[in-house]
Amino acid sequence: MNWTGLLEGVRQVISAIMHLVAIPVLIYFLVINTSLLVLIGLAAAEFSRQRRIEEYAGREETVSSRLALGVSVILPSYNEEAVIVTSVKAMLALHYSLYEIIVVDDGSTDGMFDRLQSAFDLVPIHLEVPSDVPTRGAVVDVHIPKDGRTRLVVVRKENSGKSDAINVGINVAVEPLVVFVDADSILDPDSLVVVTKPFADDPTRVVATGGVIRAANGCKVVDGRLVEVNLAKPWIVRIQVVEYLRAFLFGRMGWSRFGALILISGAFGMVRRDVLVEVGGLNPDSIGEDFELVMRIHRHMLEKGRDYRVQFVAEPVSWTEVPVTAKVLRSQRKRWHRGLWETLWKYRGMMFNPRYGKVGMVAIPYHWVFELMAPLVELVGLILVFLGLPLGVVNLPYALMFMAAAYGYAILVTLLAMAVEELTFHKYTRWRDLGAIILASLLENVGYRQATAWWRLEGWWASLRGKKQVWGTMTRQGFDQDPPIVSAVSADD
Amino acid sequence: MSVRQLLLIAVTIIGLSMVSSVALIVGAKFRRGRADARSRALLAPYRSSLLALASGEDETGQAKAELSEIPSHTWDRLRPSVIVLLTKVRGAAAEDLSDLLRSHGEVEKATKMLKSRSAVHRARAAYLFGLVRDPITAPLVVPLLSDSNADVRFVATRSLGFIGVPSSAGAILQAIGNSQGRIGVPAWIAAEALLSMGIEIAPALRAGLASNDVAVRNVCAVVAGVGTFSSAAPQLRILMNTERDDDVRVSVAVALGRLGGQLDAAVLATHTGISETAVLRRTCATALGEVGEPESLDVLSGLLGDGDRRLAYLAAESMVRIGIEGIAQLQEVASSTGQDANAARGALDVARLRGQLAGSAGES
Repeated sequence: MNWTGLLEGVRQVISAIMHLVAIPVLIYFLVINTSLLVLIGLAAAEFSRQRRIEEYAGREETVSSRLALGVSVILPSYNEEAVIVTSVKAMLALHYSLYEIIVVDDGSTDGMFDRLQSAFDLVPIHLEVPSDVPTRGAVVDVHIPKDGRTRLVVVRKENSGKSDAINVGINVAVEPLVVFVDADSILDPDSLVVVTKPFADDPTRVVATGGVIRAANGCKVVDGRLVEVNLAKPWIVRIQVVEYLRAFLFGRMGWSRFGALILISGAFGMVRRDVLVEVGGLNPDSIGEDFELVMRIHRHMLEKGRDYRVQFVAEPVSWTEVPVTAKVLRSQRKRWHRGLWETLWKYRGMMFNPRYGKVGMVAIPYHWVFELMAPLVELVGLILVFLGLPLGVVNLPYALMFMAAAYGYAILVTLLAMAVEELTFHKYTRWRDLGAIILASLLENVGYRQATAWWRLEGWWASLRGKKQVWGTMTRQGFDQDPPIVSAVSADD
Repeated sequence: MSVRQLLLIAVTIIGLSMVSSVALIVGAKFRRGRADARSRALLAPYRSSLLALASGEDETGQAKAELSEIPSHTWDRLRPSVIVLLTKVRGAAAEDLSDLLRSHGEVEKATKMLKSRSAVHRARAAYLFGLVRDPITAPLVVPLLSDSNADVRFVATRSLGFIGVPSSAGAILQAIGNSQGRIGVPAWIAAEALLSMGIEIAPALRAGLASNDVAVRNVCAVVAGVGTFSSAAPQLRILMNTERDDDVRVSVAVALGRLGGQLDAAVLATHTGISETAVLRRTCATALGEVGEPESLDVLSGLLGDGDRRLAYLAAESMVRIGIEGIAQLQEVASSTGQDANAARGALDVARLRGQLAGSAGES
């Protein structure tokens, strides 16, 4: 076969594929964005309801209540010497009447523990850690402040990973509610009041709540408290701000309102301790340990036939640094998508099984089709277009209109999410930040979206090949203009 | 119509919608900014008067008089600030702020809003009555405990707690249970409301402890313990042995820990047995420490080697709480080896840091 013949053959194959997939891909884009639009609509309805009742919601009373449910705040930490003291001090000053802080030092090799010891005057105690949930890394020692009153416990253990560190924290915890927070996260002062409220209002049914995560980059932080919300300058961060708002805030609130929330961020999630013990804590072998935990809770509760709720709380929030380099972002997205795939595969038996209600019939299939498959469909579509153009298979004006419709709809959905944000929370008060957010909504679709789609596929492929997950490192800027530091990347970085 | 034409129409609609969205975002920000500036300008002349009123420093009544005279469109913007301040102050300042609300006809408006078809209006009305704390409004709020909207029921309960009329206690207890597919008032909201009504709710509490509804019994046990209603102790003792619901038994154990004496120590001790749930065993071990009877020490020291290590530690903590005898026993156990010693050492370490060992043999 000569060159012209080969080219003609390729042309015919691509043409056939194009004819076959063009309309389905367009429909896929329409459906995925329409579903996002529905989730945003559901979230907007919920935000609107929350704002209407805000005046008489009784937040102040919850803070001072003698009957407040106790909370154990678990900070799994590894080499966080630059932020740990500020972070713990800020956590000890949260507005809540009954809570303890448990720092689990997962075998840090930096000076994290020394800093904690000197800042909080820690002394060792003979505290036996119960084995309510199984753990791997042995506990080395337990310290508490010398005054014996400050509700801070620092547990040092052998390095065995974040999930296992949280499991040790669960065993140490004495309060009925457990919240996991990344050591580098900044919590709004009222965050515990609000994430515990669903448990207080519906104590028999609510088993887990998740708080929203927003990007802290660019914000002004003083003594571990976020005092001014600003947008960071790098576009890679600005685009993530838009992405977090659309996916984390509106997406999760929409699923929560629908009654099928299957993902709570490991960077800020609250779960009943007894439920955690029942399901055996977090799975240390899982890449997406937060997603896997919530799926396991759903399966456990539904199989036991229990009436339960997993809820999302939109405000206040936990603020965290998002990646500022493409390298770290790539590592994060690979891990997220790998975790998504491995968890969905593990729980595939729940899909389309009426026994699992909305979770099995709607949420899991949705995540298979519109979360897991999305990067594959998007990249296949793009590759076909770019192959088809030089071969003359694709009509350029037609292709441009096709892409304008697909990406234009995606931008529209993002802009509508931004509109709801502006009408409800309006966290970004400066005009220039608002302008940058609008621009980021557009720029997200030029390069960023395609790159993240590729990285997500890389993560999926690595899992299919059985490649071992290697945890990357992330350069953190640190709080209060501390010098940049390097630490292990945690689940929701 | 061809696919191309369809795409063209779609792209046009999407483009227009995008422009509209951007306009909406910009418009919303602009409007809010303007409204905020307008509010600030309108309220600026009254800021110092409002602060004087809220801090109880309006001795001459001048600030109250001035704020009572402000025009309605200014009052609409000031009202939210008054409401927020009213949730934070007590005494004379709260009365002055309540008077201010009355002077602007807010109580009359709220009375009308009680019949509103809007659940938000009904809840706002109930909330306002709670803030004003006028006992004569309690009968107006009680019917809202059976409102079709859950938020309204919850707000009504809290408001009745603020108003503090003990005769409402029975109605609150009735609102706790789930009925006709409606979610009952959450236990903590009901309990908080009952606790703020004072000792006069004791008869309602005793009746509640005998209720057929598990949730009602649970709330009454919690209130009896937190509010130290000693008249409920005999019923709690009976419930501790007869109650079948685990949550209620735990609440009863907590209450007996706070109210009980020698008699109760024996009852609590029997429920630390291995046949009970882990939660109940742990609660009873803690409660024994609260009761503080040295007779419980044998039971507690027997728990130091229990397989449930949390229970063992709680037992050790309770021994510390019982006092010198308990600490002495713990010190003896701590000098040995084995699991018992681990729990003892842990509790002694914490007690030492808290200064609870002062005067005991080990500290001399």
